[in-house]
Amino acid sequence: MAQQTEILKQKNEYGYYEIRMESVGGQGANLAGKILADAGILHMGLNGVNFASYGSEKKGTPVKSFIKFSEPDRDIRVNSPVVEPHLLVVFHTNLAGKVAVMQGVKPGAAVIVNTPKKCDEVRDLLQVPGGVTLYCVDAMKISVEEKVRINTTIMGTICRAVDFLTKDAVHASIKDIFGHKYPHLLEPNLNAFERGHEEVDILEVPDDGKYPVQPFTPFRPKLGWKNAPIGGVIPNPGNTALNDMSMSRSGFYPVWHEDLCINCGECDSVCPDQAMIFVTRKDDKGEDKRFMTGVNLQYCKGCMRCVDVCPKQALTAERETE
Amino acid sequence: MTPQAAATSANGMPEQTKVVLNGNELAAHAASQINFHVMGYFPITPSTAVPEELDAMKAAGVHDVHMIPGDGEHGAAGICFGATTTGARVFNATSANGLLYALEQLPVQSGSRFPMLLNLINRAVSGPLNIRGDHSDLVYTLTTGWLTFMAKDPQMVYDMDIIALKVAEHPEVRLPAIVSYDGFVTSHQKRRAYIFSDRQVVQDFIGENKPGYISVDPDNPVTIGPYMNDDLINNRRQQAMAMVNAKAVIKQVFEEYAKISGRKYDFLHTYRMEDAEVAVFFLNSSFDTACEAVDIMRDRGHKVGAVNLAVLRPFPKEELQAVLKNVKILCVGDRQDTYGTGGGSMSLEIKAALKDDPENKTRVYSRIYGLGGLEIYLEEVVEIIEEAIEYGKSGIKVPYEYVGAFEGDETYKPERVEKPLTAADQTPGIVSVEVDEGTGKLKVSGANARKLTQMPKRLAPGHGACPGCGIIPSLNNFMRGIEGPVVVLFHTGCGMIIGSGYPFSAHRVTYVHNLFQNGAATMSGIVDAYKERIRRGELPDRPITFIHVTGDGGNDIGMGPSIGAALRGHNMIQLEYDNEGYMNTGNQLSFSTPLGHATSTSHVGKAQAGKSSHNKDTAQIMAACHIPYVFTGCEAQHVDLTKKAAKAQYYAREYGFVYGKIFSFCPLNWKCREQDARQIMQAAIDTCFFPLYEIEKGVTTITYDPEKKNKRIPLIEWLKLMGKTRHFTKDSYAELLARHEAEVERRWQRLKAMHESPVL
Repeated sequence: MAQQTEILKQKNEYGYYEIRMESVGGQGANLAGKILADAGILHMGLNGVNFASYGSEKKGTPVKSFIKFSEPDRDIRVNSPVVEPHLLVVFHTNLAGKVAVMQGVKPGAAVIVNTPKKCDEVRDLLQVPGGVTLYCVDAMKISVEEKVRINTTIMGTICRAVDFLTKDAVHASIKDIFGHKYPHLLEPNLNAFERGHEEVDILEVPDDGKYPVQPFTPFRPKLGWKNAPIGGVIPNPGNTALNDMSMSRSGFYPVWHEDLCINCGECDSVCPDQAMIFVTRKDDKGEDKRFMTGVNLQYCKGCMRCVDVCPKQALTAERETE
Repeated sequence: MTPQAAATSANGMPEQTKVVLNGNELAAHAASQINFHVMGYFPITPSTAVPEELDAMKAAGVHDVHMIPGDGEHGAAGICFGATTTGARVFNATSANGLLYALEQLPVQSGSRFPMLLNLINRAVSGPLNIRGDHSDLVYTLTTGWLTFMAKDPQMVYDMDIIALKVAEHPEVRLPAIVSYDGFVTSHQKRRAYIFSDRQVVQDFIGENKPGYISVDPDNPVTIGPYMNDDLINNRRQQAMAMVNAKAVIKQVFEEYAKISGRKYDFLHTYRMEDAEVAVFFLNSSFDTACEAVDIMRDRGHKVGAVNLAVLRPFPKEELQAVLKNVKILCVGDRQDTYGTGGGSMSLEIKAALKDDPENKTRVYSRIYGLGGLEIYLEEVVEIIEEAIEYGKSGIKVPYEYVGAFEGDETYKPERVEKPLTAADQTPGIVSVEVDEGTGKLKVSGANARKLTQMPKRLAPGHGACPGCGIIPSLNNFMRGIEGPVVVLFHTGCGMIIGSGYPFSAHRVTYVHNLFQNGAATMSGIVDAYKERIRRGELPDRPITFIHVTGDGGNDIGMGPSIGAALRGHNMIQLEYDNEGYMNTGNQLSFSTPLGHATSTSHVGKAQAGKSSHNKDTAQIMAACHIPYVFTGCEAQHVDLTKKAAKAQYYAREYGFVYGKIFSFCPLNWKCREQDARQIMQAAIDTCFFPLYEIEKGVTTITYDPEKKNKRIPLIEWLKLMGKTRHFTKDSYAELLARHEAEVERRWQRLKAMHESPVL
């Protein structure tokens, strides 16, 4: 093969430029990974690999999508997940509390965050170490306006942050994906891509030592082979109640209006998340009755089925900006 | 379809196209280009994308492989065996317990000498359940007499599928072949690969299949599969000879393939082994990581190398002997364990191979790693090699150990998050049931939505169901009609996977899982053993309601055990949530998917119009078992569903087996908005597609009649609400719609007749 000039300016000791996307199932991080890998490999001549960390086919749970690029003649032999990304993409700031998103992010890396907030605030929220370039984009707002998923918006920002990735290459691969199967989605997705590229708040995080680099450590639970009950038994009924499912919501949440509520229980009959809170208390006549007292937003995944069945509009769907 | 960027053609070789695809997609492309006559399959993660991709290509008119969905992997293997007896080229893909369920059929295929191709996408064998990759499934095949090729990366999946079929069909071989690759790592990682631009190149390379005997030639009747006594050993000797013959054939086919592709394979992959004194062996994808680790150790001045197999059967004994001749110490990474022999299968087989070389002095030990898809990082492989170097000097200190297993924190004592639901908690006394003296049927009172909010939910919040999932409200509305303690058993499926991701459980009551052909049988055992232990005075006699929850998928593969449990009449309820597909594995068709509906294995395209057959009427199948109570229900009529739960509990307690089918919403795969659940479910009822009825001791009652309520709507009013059926609104699908409507109407009229006559 003829000697080529190197495309990748930044790479690790094995010759890879690595991207890690932290997301929630259903937001399109997996497809974004595929589109970017196609752009790099098919349209820019790089070698590369793209994969995700997911199990069964579900919406609303944390997923990671990885991309590694190398020069055309360099094999990518390490097939384990990206631990020290050159680019970290955070699809939802709520992930920050649940997943160690900043692990392995070192000076020189870029971090993209989907958030309505500005970089100064996000820097502290995510504890971004110095020497990192931070990009904040309100992809949810742009996507709601363009009526697309947030992934194409974020791809626009990625294209802005990754110096070697050309707009033309990403455009071409978006066209490959949407052009054939969903031609009517092509234009809004390209609009969202363009806005993601432009409507970005950028901060070169000063090297002030405020937040240290968080080294990558594989997650090791407290239950191991010395202390876990044999046979895989879980002697802890209902302990999923500890989980916080709020990141499963995609931009909307149900708001309860006590003054309109007739306590009919229809919302409770459709809620998949056991999020409707009812208690027993005395009614006007002194009899024990069941009363609605609100929606538990720790568990609500934002399906809005309660809003749909409420006969009195006592539940309404509102935009969630935080 | 495949994005095409560059086609290459060098040295007069056929043109190839550069693609970015994963192992499953490349397997589907190979199968499409081969244009197998038949694919018999049953979806199981992580192999499902193979039939999905192949079906998508079929709908687009790319190939005409006839796709036959099995009733389970055992059935799929039977379909494949039958198809191969006709002389057809046949393909299958499976994983883990799917393979084990089909395992009985593998020696039938090889012993009867009908070649075919099986992609085995390696996954940990359950239980407890794990869907990720290890080699515990692969090793079950080692004594089945199949050729076995290993594909360490997506490119090799494509190449080996083509190579393996040619070897399998060779007249000196005539054996079925497995091509095995790592679940998720190889099956799901998208990588750069090259495929032939023209499928004719592939077909010419493989050549014509020349079967010896076929089952469909009336001029030449043959008996396939006699019973053999003393003669069986001769059949086996022929089979053993074929495996020996395969060695030379494989060598030849590898060379031929290199000539058309430029990619040369050998029995082994070796890396920097020329002067290696220390070596590691890793099968499949971990080998690439090992190569990187070898480079690191070579840079530090150590003579190390790595070995992997491209062919597992026939086992490349001589090649291993040659490459390991001067190796002092070999660490074998075993991604499975044989439990009790001090090593996994690979270390045992390699030790046996080296023992046959009297000159060999290599010391071999085993490291079990990566079980259940636990990632193996480069640093860990480096540590493994460092230890091997140390053992080279000191001798082997620990010949068998697990790498990556974690001890846990012994001081950690997890506290119960919630107090267990007591019997009293679960008996609020809201719903009650009594026998109507006049009709002999049951009467339920108290089913009021507001009051029922008091019944504690048996399922805790914080579970992993998708937003808007219908399974939870379906179960909730049923369970609140069940007063008193319950024990649940879930088949594998969405309902199971969302509630028991270790170390969390959403189940507030005792929950048992078994793999999804066997839930009804497992619950039968629980119910009857509980009674027996009470009878012997070992357990107090407390009224537990036993509920077996299955999806419509579980009642495809598990229909036999469900019928068995029904016919035996155990005191239990089987609850089927029917969301018209195998949603947990990614929306493949089930037998309950209606005609023409789109799924990931019944695509709609120019050459195919969704599922080709009508939906299974499971309620009527179970009614034919003459059990005391059968019902259908839906959360859109939740009071009706709760009342039926109370009746189900009564009949299960007093008489025996009860079956209920609940029509369950799946916005993800029905391709609709989550908040449209009520409208869509009610439309299915009002079109009479999903009638609500019950059969009490053989007498049918329609519990919600849309005609009598003057609410009946045309079928299209339901179909137009979902992405999976929106094509029905187009004129070009008018005939399909008419067939769908006619079947709905026929079943509805039949049901009405049953409702009107107590003897029907």
